[in-house]
Amino acid sequence: MAKSRTVILFWQLAILAAVLVIWQWGFEWSKALLPRAYVPKILDPYFVAKPSLIWQSFLRLGCFSDTAGFTTCIKGNDNNLWLATLVTLKNTWWGFLFGSASGIAAGLILGRSDFLARVFGPYIVALNSIPRIALVPLVILIFGLGDLSKIATAWLVVFFVVFFNTFEGTRAVDRDQIAAARLLGASEFTVLRTVVIPSALAWVFASLLPAVSFALIGVIVGEFIGAERGLGKLIIEAEARANASEMMVAIFVMMFVGILLAVAVRSLQSYLLRWQPQFEPSA
Amino acid sequence: MMAAPNPGLARAREDDDRAAARTRIAVQGLAKRFNTSGREFVAVDDVSFEVKQGEFVALLGPSGCGKSTILNMVAGLLPRSGGRILIDEDTIETGTVNPRVGYVFQRDTLFPWRTVEQNIGYGLEIAGLPKAERARRVASAVEKAGLTGFAQSFPRMLSGGMRQRVALMRTLILEPEILLMDEPFGALDTHTKLEMHKTLLEIWERERQTVLFVTHDLGEALTLASRIILLSARPGRLKEDFDVAIPRPRDPVAVRETAEFGRLYSHIWHSLGEEFRRTRAD
Ligand SMILES: Nc1ncnc2c1ncn2[C@@H]1O[C@H](COP(=O)(O)OP(=O)(O)OP(=O)(O)O)[C@@H](O)[C@H]1O
Ligand SMILES: [Mg+2]
Repeated sequence: MAKSRTVILFWQLAILAAVLVIWQWGFEWSKALLPRAYVPKILDPYFVAKPSLIWQSFLRLGCFSDTAGFTTCIKGNDNNLWLATLVTLKNTWWGFLFGSASGIAAGLILGRSDFLARVFGPYIVALNSIPRIALVPLVILIFGLGDLSKIATAWLVVFFVVFFNTFEGTRAVDRDQIAAARLLGASEFTVLRTVVIPSALAWVFASLLPAVSFALIGVIVGEFIGAERGLGKLIIEAEARANASEMMVAIFVMMFVGILLAVAVRSLQSYLLRWQPQFEPSA
Repeated sequence: MMAAPNPGLARAREDDDRAAARTRIAVQGLAKRFNTSGREFVAVDDVSFEVKQGEFVALLGPSGCGKSTILNMVAGLLPRSGGRILIDEDTIETGTVNPRVGYVFQRDTLFPWRTVEQNIGYGLEIAGLPKAERARRVASAVEKAGLTGFAQSFPRMLSGGMRQRVALMRTLILEPEILLMDEPFGALDTHTKLEMHKTLLEIWERERQTVLFVTHDLGEALTLASRIILLSARPGRLKEDFDVAIPRPRDPVAVRETAEFGRLYSHIWHSLGEEFRRTRAD
């Protein structure tokens, strides 16, 4: 509380400005000032581009600086920045949605049934120990180069994370709360709907925030390995041309996509868990 | 303590007398054994008693003597190892809920994700009562519990006493004829406890539910109950059965000044003391 918001904001902006300045001019300055051996390679625009070049690449890829005009440029390129973003965002969203929905459902069912939990337990542990990345080529082989394989990859990463948390959350439900609900007249299904799910929700959300990042990672990896469209494909294309600034554009857009999705999940979380102290709506 | 003559109460007493023969809860030869790591552990051994219509019975005994275990079996939450329990002449089946029976827990079992009014209205909501009717009854319960202004609060914003009042109302709003209570005020400080006794006495003296109230607090049992069933230390067995002839309506503070309170207190205290010593000797 000692430092006010403006002070914090000042330092945040100062750091941002410093990073941008060093990124933009640092390499030239150090070349001019330092002996050759001491010039930091990490600042070389060939590898890390620089803000002004990234901005130009952004305008070009985003069809803002095309002489033919915005619409023609968009139509002329199947994997222009906007379409690529849309495709990646869409696949991430669906992969996240299917992955978390099936993870929650499986977690609830196995969490409520000792029998099923014991039957399926070893299989789930075994499947979960496969590094998901290793499965991506197989997924692409099965589902092709299109969107479906990306959604399937995201599903693979999201499902287990959400499943395990939902399962634990379902196990951790207060038995006396369940008994109380039953004594107030709740059926088995009503108990699930009004006690188990709300009570496990905190655990579920604890996994949804990482899950949304995992979904994005899954989609991008899928696009790296085999795709026709998407931000990952854009990076692969830029790499082929050794164009660091175009890669940076795609990376920054991914960052915004990631932030967007995380903010969406977080606001849903703080609405649904508003009964918990840490999500108390501040006045 | 002088009670002003109250015609409503007099009528309630007459009704009681007429229905005096009606047994609501009958526990016969009840036993419970737990199997902990291969060893058999007798928690309750051959307990029999009856609770009649409109009686307020306290089940008193040292900690760990099996009071909660007995109550849970009466509620149908726990399978019995032996004996029978009848509610209104029907043998209870474990796992089936009797809508005439309400239960208030020893531990806080409010739903933390529901507001006060949503907690109180839970039973009515899942029973499918129309919204308007539900809101009306919840509002009156909120007022009765002295929680006006807290209807929209979540349980964590309430004090322990307020939370227990919500729990009480959540059960009472379904108008159970039989009320099972497991040390509902055990976690409260003395002052709050007295307030809760006052609230409960007011409600009970008006509505005359059949109550089985578990406690290890002798003062509490004497304040509230018409009858006290004393259990022995582990394994729980029936030790003694006392009538508490303190006139009603009772005031939780004034009741302590009555001669009957003092007499029963020292008598039961002596008996209870033996059981506490036995618990410690184990
Ligand atoms: N599920 C269980 N498994 C094994 N032993 C149990 C179980 N539940 C209770 N017991 C044992 O049975 C005995 C009676 O327990 P119970 O909870 O009925 O006591 P109580 O009289 O309600 O005590 P308190 O006043 O402390 O609540 C205790 O010794 C306890 O350890
Ligand atoms: Mg107990």
